[in-house]
Amino acid sequence: MMDILFDTQLASFFTSAAFIIIGLFAAIFLDNIIKKIIGIAFIEEGANLFLVTLGYKPGGIVPIFLPGMNSEWFAANSAYALPHALVLTSVVIGASTLAVMLAIAMVLYKKHGTLSTSKILGDEK
Amino acid sequence: MNELIPLMVIIPIACGLLLNLLHKKDRSIRILAIFVAIVLPIIPLLSNFGLHYFGGHAPLIDNSTLLGTLPSFISNSALAIFHPAITYSYQSLQKLFIFILGIVAFFAIFTSFNETKKVSGPYMFLMFMGTAAVTALLLSDDIFHMYIFFEIAALCQVGIILVSSTKGNYETALKYMILGSIGGPLLLLGIGFLLGAVGSVNITDIVYAIKHNLVNPFSQTFLIGFGLIFFGWLYASGLPPFHTIKSSIYSKALPHSAALLQSFTVITFIALGIVIFRIFSYLPFMKMVILIFSLITMILGVTMAIIQTDFRRIIGFLAVGELGYIGIGIGIGTTLSLTAGIFQAVNEILTTALLFIGFGTVFYLTKTSDMKKLGGLIAQNPKVAIMVLLGGFAMAGVPPFNGFQSKLMIVQSSLNAGFPEIAIIAVLISIITFMTFMKVFHSVYLKPKPQDLQVVNESIPTSTIFSIVILLIICLIIGLFPQLVTDNIYPFVARLI
Repeated sequence: MMDILFDTQLASFFTSAAFIIIGLFAAIFLDNIIKKIIGIAFIEEGANLFLVTLGYKPGGIVPIFLPGMNSEWFAANSAYALPHALVLTSVVIGASTLAVMLAIAMVLYKKHGTLSTSKILGDEK
Repeated sequence: MNELIPLMVIIPIACGLLLNLLHKKDRSIRILAIFVAIVLPIIPLLSNFGLHYFGGHAPLIDNSTLLGTLPSFISNSALAIFHPAITYSYQSLQKLFIFILGIVAFFAIFTSFNETKKVSGPYMFLMFMGTAAVTALLLSDDIFHMYIFFEIAALCQVGIILVSSTKGNYETALKYMILGSIGGPLLLLGIGFLLGAVGSVNITDIVYAIKHNLVNPFSQTFLIGFGLIFFGWLYASGLPPFHTIKSSIYSKALPHSAALLQSFTVITFIALGIVIFRIFSYLPFMKMVILIFSLITMILGVTMAIIQTDFRRIIGFLAVGELGYIGIGIGIGTTLSLTAGIFQAVNEILTTALLFIGFGTVFYLTKTSDMKKLGGLIAQNPKVAIMVLLGGFAMAGVPPFNGFQSKLMIVQSSLNAGFPEIAIIAVLISIITFMTFMKVFHSVYLKPKPQDLQVVNESIPTSTIFSIVILLIICLIIGLFPQLVTDNIYPFVARLI
């Protein structure tokens, strides 16, 4: 039991799952646009954390091959770099999405005088 | 000329960025946009089929010099076969869809010049950027790369709606973004599961790993990955439960941009659908799940269309319903059905674009799309009305138009595969589509003109009429000579199966 608690990778997976579940709850059930957007940020970061965790290797080294390193030792001990590279792109996409959503929220607040999604989308009908 | 493969993506992106630099220089923007819009469908015709490795990083097995210097645990493993770089795969299917997308983009851009007052601004940039993103989605053999361009395409779609300045566009954009921000990360999570299982995001590598038992494809990791990617596909394609938001998106965009947006949706549907088919076709329930969702889409699409009073929403729902036919083709999974499904996708892009631009003339003339306020517009321009009517025939599957050929193939493939009930539903939905379209046509063109209906613009721009005529001619040519399209689809499907 204690092993599981101190397993960094497993803990990180659980954290990402928690992020996604909390984010889904906020995005689906909360009425305030800003809270929804924060929820969406949680989902995105949960997915990113999941990817980063995939590349983690317990006791591993930074995946930079230096002169003099034994290639087999390097392959066996380095962290997996691909997920980390992917996350960088994903973070940029997430930031762009959030920026657009916040901009829309600002316009809608000016137009409707409220941040309540049900009122804003109710007005649309 | 494989060097042309990345140019299919680079040129529209570069054009979009350049258009921003030319801000307020309307004449220069028009010339550049039209030039690039003409070039877009030409590049796929000039390019050779093949692969393009970004950075020149081919698989190690193709580089014997480098392979010889590597330790045996790499050179003798699957790593030697895996793709180390982002790979673009250009085959007959990509050629067909990029060509069709180029044509629709050209007509959308060409039509927009006369129908919108401001050429300068983000509108044109977003259309080119969206076109580039969807092209990359088609070309990419890397599922993460596909996700990135799928998100860029979604952002462009939202941007196009925001700059369309139609009533309620911000609200619809918000709704789409909220749903998209749930669907997108879940798709990413699904990709993460595949990455965790295989160690690569290249689709060919994932398929190789499954076929050569390097991974257990029935493991929970793969099943969860399938579920999440499938959910992302539903969102991307506007299949239930996302069908309502997709039709809202079309109705809030200007008609010519709606023509482009629906082509984005259909191509995303095909691109991700083929990825799901390639990776998960070993799952016994995969085809059945696709079939069920496709049937629900068809039924919901037409039933929702019947109850609408806004003709743009009706076309939007009919377009969503038509996606179900494509899904049936993929879901049955035979050579004939896949060919029919992909053929239907080509036809849907063309006929829906024709209808959006065609009915867009009504919106241009009256500034309303509410059928209760419309009527008697056949007197305004009878030739355009007849062409719109023929476009509706093409969508409903009336011979000799293209929709008839693809729908007939879908019915035939359903019967051949032992699904007569699907064939019956497909025919019934086609009849209801025809009836719904005739209802719209009657309300807009044939019923007496309401007293209070004001015609804001007296004449339809020549560019719009030109676009409608050419699209209609293309629909007729494909209807008469379907092999022009199917000959490009068969080789791809044969390899896929």
